[in-house]
Amino acid sequence: MYQSFIGLEIHIQLLTESKVFCGCTNRFGDEPNTNVCPVCMGYPGVLPALNEEAIRLSYIVARTLNCELSPRAIFERKNYFYPDMPKNYQISQFSSPLGRNGWIDIEYAGKPRRVRIHEIHLEEDAGKMIHAGDMSLLDYNRAGTPLLEIVTEPDMEAGEEAEILLQNFRRTIRYLGVCDGNMEEGSMRCDANVSINLEGQGLGRKVEIKNLNSSRFVKMALNYEITRQKELFGKGGKIVQETRLWNENRDVTEPMRTKESAHDYRYFPEPDLPPFIPGAEFLAKVDKGLVELPEARKARFVKEYGLSAAAADFLVAEKATADFYEQTVKLGAAPAAAAAWLQFDVRKILNRDGKELADCPLTAGRLAQLLSLLADGRIHGKIAKQVLEAVFAEDKDPGQLIKEKGWQSMSDMSQLAALVDQALAANAAAVDAVKAGDRKPLGFLVGQIMKQTGGMAEPRLVQELLKQKIK
Amino acid sequence: MIHSMDVSELKITAELANLDLTGEDLASLGNEVEKILDYFSSMMEADTAGLAAGKAGSAANRLRPDVRTPGDADALLENAPELEGRFIVIPNVL
Amino acid sequence: MESPFLRWRNFLSDSAARKKYEDYVKAADAKVGAFLEFDADRGLGLVSDANPGADLAGVPFAVKDIIAVKGFHLTCGSKILENLVSPYTATAVEKLIARGGVMVGKTNLDEFGMGSSTDNSALGKTNNPWDQGRVAGGSSGGSAAAVAAGMAAFALGSDTGGSVRQPAAFCGVYGLKPTYGAVSRYGLVAYASSLDVIGVCARSVEMTRAVFDIIRGQDEKDQSSQAGGSGPAAKNRVIGVLGGNLGLDPAVDRAYRKTMDFYKAQGFELREINLAMAEYYVPVYYTIATAEASANLARYTGVRYGYRPDYAENPEELTRKARSEGFGSEVKLRILLGTYVLRSGFQDQYYQRAHKLREAIRADFDKAFGGAGLILMPVFPTQAFLRGQSGLDQFQQKLADRFTTAANLAGLPAMSFPAAVEDGLPVGMQFMAPAFGEALLFDAIKLYEAQFPCPVPPSYKPEWIEGS
Repeated sequence: MYQSFIGLEIHIQLLTESKVFCGCTNRFGDEPNTNVCPVCMGYPGVLPALNEEAIRLSYIVARTLNCELSPRAIFERKNYFYPDMPKNYQISQFSSPLGRNGWIDIEYAGKPRRVRIHEIHLEEDAGKMIHAGDMSLLDYNRAGTPLLEIVTEPDMEAGEEAEILLQNFRRTIRYLGVCDGNMEEGSMRCDANVSINLEGQGLGRKVEIKNLNSSRFVKMALNYEITRQKELFGKGGKIVQETRLWNENRDVTEPMRTKESAHDYRYFPEPDLPPFIPGAEFLAKVDKGLVELPEARKARFVKEYGLSAAAADFLVAEKATADFYEQTVKLGAAPAAAAAWLQFDVRKILNRDGKELADCPLTAGRLAQLLSLLADGRIHGKIAKQVLEAVFAEDKDPGQLIKEKGWQSMSDMSQLAALVDQALAANAAAVDAVKAGDRKPLGFLVGQIMKQTGGMAEPRLVQELLKQKIK
Repeated sequence: MIHSMDVSELKITAELANLDLTGEDLASLGNEVEKILDYFSSMMEADTAGLAAGKAGSAANRLRPDVRTPGDADALLENAPELEGRFIVIPNVL
Repeated sequence: MESPFLRWRNFLSDSAARKKYEDYVKAADAKVGAFLEFDADRGLGLVSDANPGADLAGVPFAVKDIIAVKGFHLTCGSKILENLVSPYTATAVEKLIARGGVMVGKTNLDEFGMGSSTDNSALGKTNNPWDQGRVAGGSSGGSAAAVAAGMAAFALGSDTGGSVRQPAAFCGVYGLKPTYGAVSRYGLVAYASSLDVIGVCARSVEMTRAVFDIIRGQDEKDQSSQAGGSGPAAKNRVIGVLGGNLGLDPAVDRAYRKTMDFYKAQGFELREINLAMAEYYVPVYYTIATAEASANLARYTGVRYGYRPDYAENPEELTRKARSEGFGSEVKLRILLGTYVLRSGFQDQYYQRAHKLREAIRADFDKAFGGAGLILMPVFPTQAFLRGQSGLDQFQQKLADRFTTAANLAGLPAMSFPAAVEDGLPVGMQFMAPAFGEALLFDAIKLYEAQFPCPVPPSYKPEWIEGS
């Protein structure tokens, strides 16, 4: 029997205003070479100046992933030549990265798995090089943006586990607000490594896989690679320690073409940057940025609000949704109702309009108000849906909309009784049928009254009155 | 005495440094490098037991606020040897 | 107290004085070759608020062409940056300009600061104003020569292993190497980042002090810079001196004894100190300096700026050609050395070992300054040397850095001063002080200056310079 060992190297771009070592804008998608200055273009004479927010966000991740913090984190120069790297060395961390020995817990096939984190380090990103005919085009907007690298131990066995870990991790960093986790735009990138060996023989020869632009590709590439290596192994072939690229058109991994050049990063401490010592005051500031993570929050939602696992799962997927939900409940809404509305009616409108909950006319206060009007019977369910649409369309409070539009439920018993009497007189045949035991015409009668009141009559009361009077 | 740099080591070193050494350079620089490395070997006689590599007496934890300070990107592009729109161009014949 | 800039104040705002000055520079520099670029107009254009009351108003100063000044070239004495115009200004220069100072020109240097003669410049030759057949020293040879010949009130240089003090000694002016981090390095093109510091060449102690007081201070753009505060107080009147055979030329040896005699006569106690690590200064220095240089100079590839070869097929070829054609041989030598000492397999025995020895050197000086308030030693074993066979070859020049590299390795301030003129050439001595003890250096050297003012090279005596 074979055993496989999977590890991941995850890079995330930190959500800072400016780059990690200079004041240039850290933003994706701008015109080429607009967010550049002498520092990030590697001009002679410039020096890096470390961004405090990049450091803070890095430590938030390190703490969240249960890392031991280096008492003295130091930056080092990683030396290699590449046209998209302005200084031809990358400022990174090597001998004393900011965090080590952490872990991420995941669940796969109903079993918990603890994946250890080898280290976390902060570094600068490179620019971009685009090949065009017989030339290459260079854009340095990305050069010097803050990049956090998370290296796991080879603690996973299946591609599916790697996919789950990535999905959990993505949700976590979005929760923390440190990265938007967009794998297509490259704000989150992942290289995978895998080796196989006979059970009990320890790690095999490590193969690295690059060009993985989604967590699904990570899973597919790893599973492809495990199968390829097992077959090779079975035929008595030799697995080569190498780097392979995922070909997403053909769903295979292929060896990366490498130049026969010497390879030696010659790391040494960056003399331009003093060490960073995470003191108590700094860590207190970091800990303020820590939040309850999705898994824990989900468990709490189930327990505290009596939600189903599915509903809780939906609500915690995005921190903004979960925060919105809890705010709504705090303002008095019934937990089950608030969950159901967010999961169905609200989501439907957001999807249809292409809007985000965090950035739409519906606030937790408005939803709580709407649900309280509904619970009090001042509007009924169908009207409530109309009110929700109106909140989105007109950006007004539900109470105000109901007043303006005259959507209050008609629940005055004497008024309703008169309407019921009218309906009974006008539809004698239906009344007879009901008396004879056919309950179907009851619905017809309710409908007549609703039509007459423009939908404002409280249907539950109308039904009650009908039953009383026909008896 | 530690070994000095032979020609193959010099070539690897030159490759890492992205320098093309012509035959002449290879000979003259090779000699000079060898002479200096021999001289460096005096360090091997020093007793470094109990010594730790430190870092020049700089204070720790120097940070700058996360504030955008727009620069003059266009002035930098003027120094670029070749441009295509706003891209910097380098040759790459495959 | 009288401003040390008095003779130069508003020099450039007076048109008659300015013409006289510019004519003089033109004539003098034809013989000396201190400047790679001279443009007083452009320098005046950098002064945004011409306040005639500012302490440096109209004072012409020069800057070694390894320090960035917006609108001026930043060649570093190298073919690879021959055409680069700097898009920004170094912090130290900005501070001088803010006081009204006029940056009139960029001075010659050994390519990227690598050398002791300024002959390693790819862009020009600088002669010693005392003897045109001799070198001005290096690597800040242009700055020292310009100040010695009265072509600028003062000049900024950079000192990585003696590059301000040694040319200052060769040209007979004062040369300050401040404490590491006391002056922002932002805008100083890096040779060896943990050793580099911007320094000052001037013709008087007070001017050196005044310029240092302006350029010093913590800078948010240089996170290795430090405020330093008021510095250590003078602890005693003990001067540490070196004993044994120092391998000095006779003229230098005479000058060393002369300065010792002077300070003894002034009531100082001279105490021989034992610097146990002295034999390691030069190998440790060259190991660390070249290692850092190999990374610092990796950015010069002809991709984003600078020299680009006529033809290359791909990025690798472009980079290799640009560097091979653009760098001079001494620079290539140091890049190769530095790359080698960092390689895996060699890093432990060279770079790591040098780093440990550097700590021991630091500790050695901590111990020495436990007893002595200052240390007095030669700057260089010879006076300004001749070019050609009778001079020093590159390897001998490196060995001769044995007195200057210590201050850089230990991060301490040091200042060279004209101690004597022997056989028609100046000789410099230097004081070293504890970290941020620049004021101690100024105070001690001022005593000497009062009796032996800055000498003036015979053929370069414009009326506006002071000295004897």
